[in-house]
Parts: sequence; structure tokens; C-alpha cells
Amino acid sequence: MTTTTTPQLALTRIFDAPRTLLYQEFTDPDLLAAWWGPIGNSLPRDEIEFDVRPGGHQRWTEVSAADPRIRVHVRFDLTQVVDGELLDGTMHVTGQLPEGFEPFETRVRLEFHDEADGRTRLEVRQWLPEHLASPSDQGWREAFTKLDAALAA
Amino acid sequence: MPERPSGDLDLLFGALADATRRGIVERLALGEATVTELAAPFSISLPAISRHLKVLERASLITRSRHGRWRRARLSPTTIASAATWLSRCERLWVERFGRLDEHLARLASQEPASLPETKTKRGKR
Repeated sequence: MTTTTTPQLALTRIFDAPRTLLYQEFTDPDLLAAWWGPIGNSLPRDEIEFDVRPGGHQRWTEVSAADPRIRVHVRFDLTQVVDGELLDGTMHVTGQLPEGFEPFETRVRLEFHDEADGRTRLEVRQWLPEHLASPSDQGWREAFTKLDAALAA
Repeated sequence: MPERPSGDLDLLFGALADATRRGIVERLALGEATVTELAAPFSISLPAISRHLKVLERASLITRSRHGRWRRARLSPTTIASAATWLSRCERLWVERFGRLDEHLARLASQEPASLPETKTKRGKR
């Protein structure tokens, strides 16, 4: 995995919840299953298995309500875990994926930061899978903008 | 709203930071071409064009194939498009998740504190 490069996807969102609760939303099986989605999907409780620690993992299956044959298996192998603050690892997505999405693995990093008034800032970082990024995995996103501009010039 | 990632853009920006190479990319957007065809609009030598093509190739912006004695260059739109599609798709998934998480937090907040899950402080410790 390209673990030292800059993430190609960076999202920031502030939630109206204390940090410990927001962290639980990602690390408690019952809580994650209640909102993770995608919309219309269910996460069968008996296929959720969490072992949240450095070197541990989170596993679950997303089952499409519209087409139960579409079953996506997610395994998040955790390399860095700081209780209430950080989840970082490689997410393996396999199984029967919807509409042409190929199985992939991608590094994902979730940081939980305190904000004023008991709110929490979530920082999501995600890296392009190797097969999409290789051989030049840097700054694709900005490059598209540049390329568009160059083509339009 | 999502922020733009900042990154080390050496390879791609380096490749696109040159007016001649951008011209070559523009030309290739219309279809593949030989070195001679690519050189036509520019007042530079064929070896110079070849060097520019090497830079673009190294940045994975183009690929080159050999047909007989002519090497033809073409843009690599699939690489670019598939990476772009994948990223925008992932971004959309996250934004949707954030919306559902907001709603779930609101549902939790409207419930009795007693129905909140216990804090599992010892969870996952070795």
C-alpha cells in the first residue's frame, strides 16, 4: 500500500456529538450498523466482528435490500488505533459489488478531534487503491483539474 | 464541505507545466498521433518532441505503441477517468454516510440517556 504518500481524498465534517460518542459510532457494532449504509443496505449483526486495537480489525457485510445477491464484504485491518481519537488501516472490499465496482483495498484514516461546544471534527483520509494510482499516485485529483484547464485552454 | 487534498504533484504537474506538452496533450485528446504529426504545429525538432513524450509517458498521461516503424502516442484516459470516478464515488459515499450519521446522532440524542450504549473503555486493549 502507498502509506507514505498524500491521501487523494480528504474530507472534514463536524458532528454535534462528543468525541467519545462519535468514536463509538465507528467502533461499536450496533451503532455502526445503524447508519453505515449505503442506503437500503443492511449489515447482518452476525456478520459484524470487531476487534478494535492496533493489529486488530473490523469486519462486516453490506447486503443490498433490493438485490440480496449483492453482498459486499468489508474488512478494515487496523494498523493504528488510539481510543477515541484515531483509526487507521487498510480497508479490503470484496464480494459481489454493485454496478461494476471492482474489489479493492484502500488505506483509510479517521481522526476524531474535539471542537467547541462539545462537538467533534471528523477528518477522513483515503488513498487511491494501488491499481488505480500506480505508477503515478500523487495528486491525481488536482491533476484532473489542471488537465481539464489545459485541454480547455 | 470536503476540502481539497494538497499533494506532491511533481510528476503530473511537472509533465503539464510545459506549454509544448500541454499542446501535445490537447492534440492527443483528439486522437492518437505519431511524433511527426505531433511535431507539426511546433517549431521544434523531432528529438525534442520525443523527449516531451517521455515526460508525459512517465507521468502516465500517455502510452505509446509501435505500429510498423511508427510509434504512436495516445492519451491514457482510462487511467485518469477510472481514478477520478473511483474518488468521486468514494467521496459521495462518505458524504452520504455523514448525513446518516448526523441523523443517527440526532436519534440517539432524542432518546433517554439510559438507552445509550455503555462506554467500553476497556474494549480492545491488549
